[in-house]
Amino acid sequence: MFKLPAKLVNRVSTIPSLSSSILKYNIRTMSSMKEYDYVVIGGGSGGTASARRAASYGAKVLLIEGRGKLGGTCVNVGCVPKKIMWYTSDLAGKIQHGHGYNLYEELPIDKEHLTFNWPAFKEKRDAYVHRLNGIYEANCARENVDVAYGWASFNKDGSVLIKKLDGTEESVKGKHTLIATGGIPLLPKNIPGYEHGVSSDGFFELEQQPKKVVVVGAGYIGVELSGVFHGLGSEVHLCIRGDTVLRKFDSCIQDTITEHYIKSGINVHKQSQVAKVEKNATGSLTVTLNNGTVLSDVDTLVWTVGRRTLVDLNLDNVGVKINNKDQIIVDEYQNTDAQNIYSLGDVVGKVDLTPVAIAAGRKLANRIFGPEQFKNDKLSYENVPSVVFSHPTSGSCGITEKEAIEKYGKENIKIYQTGFGAMYYGVLDESFKQPTKYKLVCAGPEEKVVGLHIVGDSSDEILQGFGVAMKMGATKADFDNCVAIHPTSAEELVTLR
Amino acid sequence: MSSAVKHYEFIVIGGGSGGVGSARRASQYGAKTLLIEGKKLGGTCVNVGCIPKKLMWYASNLAKSITDAHDYKLFENLPLNKENLTFNWREFVDKRDSYLRVLNGIYEENLKKFGVDIDFGWATFDKQGHVEVSKHDGTKNIYSGDHILIATGGKPIIPNQIPGYEFGIDSDGFFSLKTQPKKTVVVGAGYIGIELAGVLNGLGTEAHLVIRGKTVLRKFDILIQETITDHYVATGINVHKEAKVQKVEKRTDGKLNVTLTTSETIEGADCIIWTIGRKSYLDFGLENIGVKLNDKGQILTDEYQNTSVPNVYSLGDVSGRIELTPVAIAAGRKLSNRLFGPEKFAKDKLDYTNIPSVVFSHPEVGTIGLSEAKAIEQFGQENLKIYNTSFSALYYSMLQEKTPTKYKLICAGPTEKVVGLHIVGDCSSEIMQGFGVAIKMGAVKADFDNCVAIHPTSAEELVTLK
Repeated sequence: MFKLPAKLVNRVSTIPSLSSSILKYNIRTMSSMKEYDYVVIGGGSGGTASARRAASYGAKVLLIEGRGKLGGTCVNVGCVPKKIMWYTSDLAGKIQHGHGYNLYEELPIDKEHLTFNWPAFKEKRDAYVHRLNGIYEANCARENVDVAYGWASFNKDGSVLIKKLDGTEESVKGKHTLIATGGIPLLPKNIPGYEHGVSSDGFFELEQQPKKVVVVGAGYIGVELSGVFHGLGSEVHLCIRGDTVLRKFDSCIQDTITEHYIKSGINVHKQSQVAKVEKNATGSLTVTLNNGTVLSDVDTLVWTVGRRTLVDLNLDNVGVKINNKDQIIVDEYQNTDAQNIYSLGDVVGKVDLTPVAIAAGRKLANRIFGPEQFKNDKLSYENVPSVVFSHPTSGSCGITEKEAIEKYGKENIKIYQTGFGAMYYGVLDESFKQPTKYKLVCAGPEEKVVGLHIVGDSSDEILQGFGVAMKMGATKADFDNCVAIHPTSAEELVTLR
Repeated sequence: MSSAVKHYEFIVIGGGSGGVGSARRASQYGAKTLLIEGKKLGGTCVNVGCIPKKLMWYASNLAKSITDAHDYKLFENLPLNKENLTFNWREFVDKRDSYLRVLNGIYEENLKKFGVDIDFGWATFDKQGHVEVSKHDGTKNIYSGDHILIATGGKPIIPNQIPGYEFGIDSDGFFSLKTQPKKTVVVGAGYIGIELAGVLNGLGTEAHLVIRGKTVLRKFDILIQETITDHYVATGINVHKEAKVQKVEKRTDGKLNVTLTTSETIEGADCIIWTIGRKSYLDFGLENIGVKLNDKGQILTDEYQNTSVPNVYSLGDVSGRIELTPVAIAAGRKLSNRLFGPEKFAKDKLDYTNIPSVVFSHPEVGTIGLSEAKAIEQFGQENLKIYNTSFSALYYSMLQEKTPTKYKLICAGPTEKVVGLHIVGDCSSEIMQGFGVAIKMGAVKADFDNCVAIHPTSAEELVTLK
């Protein structure tokens, strides 16, 4: 929509023919709002997927994004750059296996000689993310999804106000509106000196590699970042409140990763919280923990203590309700409390994963704009497989052993476990070995697989197919019925006893 | 020398994957079991197959990964490129072989732990149907068995009609090499030739691959054939297409000149490796008991692993069908379930359909079910829906040279039942297993799509195919 700034209106008003047509245009736009079939607030995983799917059915779609680039958390400060950093860290480790495999014996490919050109690599990584931003934009353009860059909120009449990045404002009306605004990292504002630390967003802005870094938080983000830092040669201190990392995961994953992180040299400060952070004249930080430990000469502190939703959209104006965690309340069809307004993705907070947001987004668009067969389409949030890019990787689908015991009773559960050293490590020194541990949680007489938890090399690639099987209702016998593939790690999952 | 005939409930001839799997299971049910092995426990798999092959593959794969360092801004001061690649073949092979010795020991220990008697020597059937074992020290033992399993496996075929064939080695010989060949000719387009050529190329050997047709892996789906052939050519393996070896000559310096039917001569090769097929190991008096063979010279069996002779069974490579370690193990266990296990296993047998397998090429290959060509034959083109995808894995976003990833899903009928899955790309060997379980359960395309993707991975592309 074209809105003439006041200055220009005055100037052209002196040009008779031009002024009258421009003024006529202005009057028209000021009194009528652009109308869309679907207004999507948030150009991340959930929003873009839903917008594109809706457009594919012929809906007139507007996608609004505040960051100035598409892709949301996943593309810009999540999955993608995270995985690229994981690759780097993993490769740094693999190169050091060279001598164990009698490769490059003349070159000192060991920990002491490890170098990583963080600034140069960041440039490459950023360039790739930028390319993806462009691809997302191109996809939207090609599929007739309008894109507006700006921050959205609701007007009292239900229309959506966009405060555009170019300074202008515009309101649009959507027959249907989707809120997929996602979330951002939490900062512990109650801790003195918290502002001297960065969040995961800040991690991706780091121009230099910290020599000594403190990561606070036991969730997957903290585990992934500390693993990456450590693999690249930084001295890492991980502060966790409890005794294990990844406490939302099965004990198999908690214990294996915690132990391995410690064994591989990450300083894990258990049962500790940060009491204060001080910045020194040199610019380094002194981090004091509540157990008295003082970590000095710290280059960077990264807070990974949780995330919060982005709900600052005047939701009250339209009656969209949020719960006590500030997550938008939706039913199983992604309907909010306001008619024709929906929500999904991290802002709803059910399962904060890109593919979940994408799937929910597509199914919503199917339901609202698609053919009759999709009129009840919705996403099932059960048995969603996910992986953590720890070192080694871990993966999980279904419920934990603890949850299974609660749900079915201990006597109705059968647990199958195995632990081994992958063949790759057979020729390597003990110090390089990474553990592999698998746990299958089965319930009932037919031994239905209700939980699968794996830690070890390639877990990220192993899990998907088993996720399909579990979603189909696989039992232990189904697993056993498939002949093993040899020699692999995955085969151990179909030969459990 | 003992001339008394010792009796067992179960005699297993062959201490490889199938034999050991069956012997252990039988003994667990309480059957008095004897296992006879002429070479080393673990058979082909442990000694000259799966295990040493995978260790070599790891070395070759790591060699390549190390050259990715600079693109990932690691170890910038060190010349980690292909030109400076060194591989201490001798030391690595020693390490590799030590690992195998440990496995041989573990196999022996496990058999003893399960109460299986072991006799090392070469078995033959005598006219009375007894099993005579000629031991390495020259003595002989004679056994009789209520049930006898022939799981003697197979061995490489040597083309003894080609002049100079004797200057070449086979895959067994590859695993005996004490020094790394500078220049090698690998003959054969099957998975063994492909794996060996890929390994040698990755470790810095100048590799020549001689194939009769235009593509490698011709028993696999066309997607796999073409992707691997093209990538092998792109990564520097000299693929001599539509060629056979006419003759091999040994020079005075010990190196070989290999003349092809295309008139080209590959000069100065350090070795030539015949990987033109394998045949059953049958040389042990089968005619004395009358066990019949099929038209491929493999022991003929029915679906229960029965041979033509009552109480004599066969499985694993010697009986053909699907020559894979886990298949032999599964068949072996089910046979013992049936013969010695509880009533519920009275009809236990292995289902040979939808067995997943992988090839350790560069990159890896995975496959299950029918190829597109076979699916068209079985269902008719109009009843098939084929889903394809092709991409570069995220790992290559930082690299100049990309390795391809290509997936093909073959679906049949209105329900779009998955009848074939063929994948090429990094990690294919680990991706395959779970999808194998799903396909064995009768998965349809909708089942694949119903599982939320795991991001970012390569495998997720299989549940988001359009």
